[in-house]
Amino acid sequence: MSLTVEMLFPEIANLHGDNANIDYLAQCRPDARVIRTGLTDPPAFAAGPVDLVYLGPLTEKGQLKAIAHLRPHRDRIVELIETGTVFLFTHNALEVLGARIRNDEMGYDEPGVGVFELEATLAMFGRYSGKVMGTVPEVGPEHPVLGYKSQFSMVTAPESLPGFLTAERGIGRNRATAVEGVRRNNFFGTSLLGPILVDNPHLTRALLRILDPGTEPVLAHERLALAAYDQRLADFRDPRRWHPFERVE
Amino acid sequence: MRGGPRVLLTIWAAKLAALALRVTGRAGTHVPGRIARRLHPGIIGAIRHPARVVVVTGTNGKTTVSNLLAEALQGEGMRVASNRSGSNLAAGVAMTLIDAVTWTGRSRADVAVLEMDERSAKLILPGLVPDILVCTNLTRDSIKRNAHPDYIAWVISSALPASTTLVLNADDLIASSIGSDANPRTHFAVDRLPTDGDTPHGAAVDAAICPVCDAPLVWDYWRFNHIGRAHCPNGDFRSPTAAYRAQQVDGPNRRVVLDLDGDARPATLINPNIVNVYNEVAVAAVLDRLGIARERLVSAFDRLQPPTTRFQEETVGGVELVRLLTKGLVGVACSRAFEYLASFSGRKAVVLNIDEVSERTTDVENTAWTYDADYDYLATSDVQQIVVGESAATTRRCGSRSRACRRSASSRWRRSSPRPTRSTSRARRRCSTCTACTTRSSPAPRCRRACASG
Ligand SMILES: [Zn+2]
Repeated sequence: MSLTVEMLFPEIANLHGDNANIDYLAQCRPDARVIRTGLTDPPAFAAGPVDLVYLGPLTEKGQLKAIAHLRPHRDRIVELIETGTVFLFTHNALEVLGARIRNDEMGYDEPGVGVFELEATLAMFGRYSGKVMGTVPEVGPEHPVLGYKSQFSMVTAPESLPGFLTAERGIGRNRATAVEGVRRNNFFGTSLLGPILVDNPHLTRALLRILDPGTEPVLAHERLALAAYDQRLADFRDPRRWHPFERVE
Repeated sequence: MRGGPRVLLTIWAAKLAALALRVTGRAGTHVPGRIARRLHPGIIGAIRHPARVVVVTGTNGKTTVSNLLAEALQGEGMRVASNRSGSNLAAGVAMTLIDAVTWTGRSRADVAVLEMDERSAKLILPGLVPDILVCTNLTRDSIKRNAHPDYIAWVISSALPASTTLVLNADDLIASSIGSDANPRTHFAVDRLPTDGDTPHGAAVDAAICPVCDAPLVWDYWRFNHIGRAHCPNGDFRSPTAAYRAQQVDGPNRRVVLDLDGDARPATLINPNIVNVYNEVAVAAVLDRLGIARERLVSAFDRLQPPTTRFQEETVGGVELVRLLTKGLVGVACSRAFEYLASFSGRKAVVLNIDEVSERTTDVENTAWTYDADYDYLATSDVQQIVVGESAATTRRCGSRSRACRRSASSRWRRSSPRPTRSTSRARRRCSTCTACTTRSSPAPRCRRACASG
């Protein structure tokens, strides 16, 4: 089958090099059709099936714009998640689907799209930057996911909401938990930068398998991607490279 | 004097600390400035300021613009206080102001030209209350520290006194948005260039939609990133009109026409790189706002030179060698270097020494920034080699004899290569891929990694 990938709002959701996630996916599946849905366009997922819905890192104003444009489609998003459509929301895009975003310094406390029971609190003079290493069920502990956080926000959610991964090193949704991001069915939501699909070829292969179970996944630049992963994993496993603040309190 | 005995005590302590540092052979404004701010956290606001205070900030060009301004004003016979040799953080600004007063706190400078780190705005601007603030541009910078340009615009705006006159880049929709309606403002720009396009492209376009209706902006001209001139197709919004404009930019002959609020005057172009064209017109705008006579303002560019620490050019054995230093961990800074290299005619080899020494052993570098760079600038037929490796700090010499290295060498390049200089001949025999990059002054990346990965 051919894949349809919908990138939401790429004109505002394009920070931190993270759209290379989709560039890489498209290199792995050159037959994939990538739809770039602008803020003023109706989303493709609202009108019919798509295989992957992607939203990348946003500015703070961008988060509020994304919320405003996605809120009318809340029920459709819930339906697609429940029926197994793949979603990838990276960095602060995940917060858009939460219950609220609170930013005292910029002076707002706004409801999110309301798909998940998570709340984001931003500290505009307290940016957190660090590494995260943790296991995702599909790829197992031998190939942990490696990623980076660089964010103003910390997220809280009930324990009943499953995470994208549990951090073996580094922090999770906030400094008090190792549970990172959100995973529901094929919804992958994580604050991790990387871009994670480029930095984690084993995860990408698993995602390609979920997207198209009938086709054996082929990774673009496989030899380089795996070699880079192995080198990065060795660095992530070196305890001298971890700072005291990079752990759950 | 302003502030009373605590201010005087702070001035003495900081001056004595600076004196002690000088006696022990060390310089710098940071340590005495920190002492001053510890003794009196409000010292920047409490100390007597020169009659005029100009602050220069922005992602790129703030050092160049503040140095050029200081030099031009000195050329006018003014006593200028500047932090050109010190820190651009709050401590450096505090110490510069302390240096600019006598031991009794009397001002001994006519004007202060202060380069300001964008993120230090909150600690500097409310006390300093500058007469003029120049913002050269706000583009992507360190992901860790600066997040994104809109954040930096907010940091500056939320600290800006309403009385400060803003001198802003009209071609930068983010930098030109800072401040409030209360701030008097004027703009500078560089008129459409033959190399400009009509539609933005690349990885890092940070102003793409109308702030009112979210419609994609229509570009009158697009230069790079979010730099250019744009408007909303529904008529809600357009780039501000610039009173100060660089026109008829003639790089080869180093000439430019500076339009000073409707008064067009030919001038020397201090440097053909687009970032320095912006720097020149920004300097002209500030000098004009400070009331410098226009004929002297324009002739100042005959003698002003931008600092060259990030750019060097020399000819080695008939090969033109251009060295550019970019900010670390900033993709868009690489894009500007790539674009500049692409502007040279003739066959080129490009060596990228990418390294973050600070994270080499004590962290694992977040390489996300590399995806913000636009490598398309190098995807032309005249770029015949791209060699990527880590900095030479860990590399003594080219050590590879591998088949991969020899095979990947371009025979065409070798044929046309000049005779090797003595310092390059060893590397040349060992690995021809590296001959393009190994010279006395441009150390080679480690060959085994560089060539084998290509
Ligand atoms: Zn509009």
